[in-house]
This record gives sequence, C-alpha cells and structure tokens, in this order.
Amino acid sequence: MSRENDSFIVLSINHEVAPLDVRERYSVDDSKANDLYALLHNTGGVSESLVLNTCNRFELYTKLEKDANIECVVAILAEFYGEPSDKVLEHLHLRSGREAVQHLIEVSAGLRSQITGEAEIFGQVKSAYAESQNRGYAGKLINRVFQKGFQAAKLIRNSTTVGEGQINIANVAVDLASKIFGDLKSAAVLSLGTGEIGEKTVKALRSRGAKDFGIASRSQERAEEVASKWGGAPHVLADLQSYLPQYDIVIASVGTDGAVITHDLVKKCAARRRGRPLFLIDLGLPRNIEQSCDAFDNVFLYNLDDLASIAEENIAQRKEAVIESTNIAANKAQHIWEAIAKRGLL
Amino acid sequence: MDNTLFGLADKQWIWIATVVFASTFVLGTYSAIKLHRRTGRPYVLALVTFGWILQTIGLYARGLQYGGCPLSNQFELVQFMVWSAIAIYIFVGPSFRVSLLGVFTSGFACLFSILSMVFEHWDNPSREPIFGDSPWIETHAALALFSYGVFGVLTLTSVMYLLQSRSLKQKKVVGGLFPFLPSLVELVSINGRLLAMGFIILTVSLGIGYSYFIEDLSSVLTVKLASTVAVWLAYGIILFLRFKLILSSKKFAWVCVIVFIAALLSLAAVDREPETETPSPQASILNSSTGDS
Repeated sequence: MSRENDSFIVLSINHEVAPLDVRERYSVDDSKANDLYALLHNTGGVSESLVLNTCNRFELYTKLEKDANIECVVAILAEFYGEPSDKVLEHLHLRSGREAVQHLIEVSAGLRSQITGEAEIFGQVKSAYAESQNRGYAGKLINRVFQKGFQAAKLIRNSTTVGEGQINIANVAVDLASKIFGDLKSAAVLSLGTGEIGEKTVKALRSRGAKDFGIASRSQERAEEVASKWGGAPHVLADLQSYLPQYDIVIASVGTDGAVITHDLVKKCAARRRGRPLFLIDLGLPRNIEQSCDAFDNVFLYNLDDLASIAEENIAQRKEAVIESTNIAANKAQHIWEAIAKRGLL
Repeated sequence: MDNTLFGLADKQWIWIATVVFASTFVLGTYSAIKLHRRTGRPYVLALVTFGWILQTIGLYARGLQYGGCPLSNQFELVQFMVWSAIAIYIFVGPSFRVSLLGVFTSGFACLFSILSMVFEHWDNPSREPIFGDSPWIETHAALALFSYGVFGVLTLTSVMYLLQSRSLKQKKVVGGLFPFLPSLVELVSINGRLLAMGFIILTVSLGIGYSYFIEDLSSVLTVKLASTVAVWLAYGIILFLRFKLILSSKKFAWVCVIVFIAALLSLAAVDREPETETPSPQASILNSSTGDS
C-alpha cells in the first residue's frame, strides 16, 4: 500500500463484520461523537475526520497527517472505548485510499445496508458529513471525497434497480395503491380492524398523501378510540355495507372465522362507486375477503402472500443490481481518487 | 409524383422521419425493459418532435403539388393520421404527464409509416385537383384525419390501461413495463378526454362535409357515407356509454382498440373511386376528402 493510499482511511464496525452486541458496544450518540472528535484532533495524527453512526454501523473516516499511520487511529479508538487495540481491531473493517472511497460510495448507495438498497442511509451519511463540516473537522480531502461520493451514489440509485421496489408489506401495498389511483390525495382509505399491521399500512398511506381515512371496529368505542389516535372517521364493522362504497382502498385485518367482505357485498357496492376502482388489501389470517371478489374488472384484491411475494421479488431484483452497482462504485472511486491525487489533496 | 424540398424528395423525408420514430421506440423500450430505466420525457419528446418536423417537411413537399393538404390516397391518409397523432402527443401529451406515451406513440408512428410505404399501391396517383376551390372541403378532410390521430393516441392509452390492469390483476408487478406505466385512474381520465376531443373534432369535420353533401347527394358513394357515419356513431355510442358509466374501464379500453382497428379498415373501403362513372369535379373532391372520415 502506497503512502498516498494510507493517508485516507475508513475504519468500520458494521453488520457485515460484527454481531449486534459488538455494534451496540461501539455505537456512539451525539455527545460521545463530540468526545471522539475532540480526542482525535487533540491527540494528533489526524487532520480531518468524520464519524458516521447508524443502527447498523459505526464508521470513522480520517485523513492522517504525514507521520501518522492506521495504528495511531486504532490506538485512539482503543483509548476512547477503553479496550485493548487488538480487541478493537478484531471487529474493524479497514479500507484505505481508493478502496475507502469505494466503500463510502457503496455505503451511501445502500449497497452495504442490511436491507439492500434502502434509501435512509444516504440521508444519514449526508447528516454525518454536515456535522463534521459544522464542527470544522472536514477539510479539503473529506469535502472532495464526500461530495463526489454522493454524486456517484446518486448515479447508482438513479441508473440501477438497486433501490427500486418496496420490500416491506405495508409499502408494497402503498405502491400498488398509487399504481391504481395515482395521487393518493383523492383516495379514501378504510381500515377494517385496529391491529398493528393495519396501523402500519394506514401510516404508510398517509405518508404518501392519503388524507381521508375510516377506521372500523366491532365496537363503536374501540373504533372511536383508534380513530382519534390514527386520525379518521370511526365506523362499526356491522354497518360495513352502508359505508364501504365511500372508500377506494380497504385494508382488512380483522380476527374472524368467516369473510368480512363477500362477493355479494362488493357487487352491491359497485353500483354506488361510479366505476372507480376498488383496492382490497387482505392482511387477515384467516382471510377477511372472499377470493371471488377479484373477479370484478375494477376490483384488485391482494392478500398477505401476494404482498410478501412481491416484496421478495423486489429484494431479488435489488440483489441482482448489486453487481452492476458495485462496478459503477469501483469505477467512480478510481476516478475520484485519481482526481484527488492530481489536485495534490493527499 | 415526387416533390423535392431542401434537396430530398418527399418520401425520403418521410423515410428519415420513420427511422427517427423507430429509433425512439427501440431506445425507449430497451431503456425501460432491459436497463430498467425511465427514458426521460424531454429526451423522448425531443426525438419525437425531431421526427415530426422531418415528416412535416415530407408532407409539405408532397402537398406542394396540390396546393393543399396531401390527402389524396391511402399513403397520404395514413401519413396525415400519423402526423396528427404525433402532433397530439407533442402539444397535448405533456399535460397528461404519462411516462411511456412518447415511446408508444413513436412505435405507432413507425408501424403505420412503414406499412404505408411497404404497400406501394397505397400511393397510387392522386385524383387531382383534390379540393377544388373550397378551403372548407380541405378543412373537413384535415379535421377528419386529425380526429383519427386523436383516436390513435386514445388507442395507445387504452392499450396502456389494459397492460396496467392485466399486470395488477395477475399480480405481475415487478419488472417489465409495470414501473413505467401510469396509474389506472390517470389513464381512465386521459382516455375520457381524448375520446371527447376526437369525437368533437370528427363531428365538426362531418358537419362541414354534410353541408356540401346535401347540395349534391350523388357526390359521395354510399359505402363511404355508411363507413363514415358508422365510425362517428361508434365513437358517439362509446362516449355515451362511458358518460352513463355503463361500460367498465376495461371494456371501454377494449372497445376503443377494436373501434380504431375497424376505423382504419374503413379507410381502405372509403378510399375507393366509382368504377363505372367519371365523377364530377365536386364528387371527386368529396370522394377524396371523405376517404379519411
């Protein structure tokens, strides 16, 4: 490894190399991060630094001073955590130079996330960069590496399928709803049942613009209680026929032996819907909606298995895109690193 | 029959335009299906507009010999219909904000443009002069063909609806064209607007044609008159059924596709000339102009 390569390093403790209890031990909150920054820059050997801390990773990006090496940083970390250096090294994932840049791009693009392609990490890396800048620990090298790294990560997310498709059931349902109704602002949502999965789906729909909600439960009291908590109009399950036609998206998750929504009920309500599509999401076990409801042209019925199967297909599609994305990250990292060397930032 | 403009004959311009439409279609489809990437709307719009300008030059060169719109044989009728469909996409399409519409429209343009050139007999010598001295007959013919262009785009959005609906029904919603197709509700709204627009344009066109027809009842062949009225009636009935919510969105989409195919087939029927009699100048005008409607 050349001296130039050694000047920019990343030390990472993440879900790929360390179990949860280890990650918990090395996790830092804001106050601890502040202490770590202070220790790094007061001890000497480090001229620029950035701490990234998420639920699945602790990472430290540093530019070393000319006479410093990786061991110096490991020693600082050992002092910070109060553990011997060799124990800290045991769980550390070390990268330097171009490989460190590639690691940053891969992390930012979600390629190294536990849920491949998740988008939240990009915001977390950006926040960590802003924090380092605000504290004055990001210099020319870290600025260059991170700004160019963000561009590369965006390119990966925009030009591959690594971030496409939802991978949890509630979000898959919301995606399908938007493929039926487009803008969800005009779609009315009814939740049959007040369980956790129904709540998650309602929240996901609300976050994507849905505004009109109805909450139905067996008892008026329970319906009112949950409706005031989630937001929406309370309904009693027994009166379903009277209010079902008002709703476009129905999430059914009621504990019941028989179907709550039957073929006949949907047929009766179709006439009052003026041709608008009806999206039925059956999250109940046993199922709450008769399968034959799907026979109507304008009715789209998805049950738990259907949604889970789509989530699995999306995960598989994301994994397929990882190879292509990693190649892009490698090429971009090479390019960024060469440009940094030319500019004399090392 | 070739007319040259800027050093190229009319058909050469149209060939180049067809190549541009074909390239846009291939590029957009490849980008969506193989690369899983959304081809940017401005990019597709720019390419389709470029092809449309080339086609306009070709049709203009062709029209120079008539001193009006080139609508005198099947080749020209189809070309004008394609030109109208592309114009609808360029000038009205962006307000629909429908991804893939440009790709679908360029595929439609490419297909019909190639067909019109492959069947050489479609480009038989025209019955000149085609519009006589009346600009209203030309307006009637152009509007009728323009409405066919609108119905062509309606057919494309109906196909999009059917694809989207099928994907959702069969739960095949990962990959393919699914991520790029617009929502069902948006497509239903667009279909309704296109149908109303096409029907109004066709009605105006037929109204103009009718005012000439009643002056000389023998000027239009019965088969042409029947075909024209049948197409107008068919779209009118669809509009009524849709307005009354008697047709489901899926059936509406299917009917739009079927009626458009029938309307296209009727173009061949209505473009025939009387075999035994030589038409009067006005009959000739109406025969030519109603060939499209």
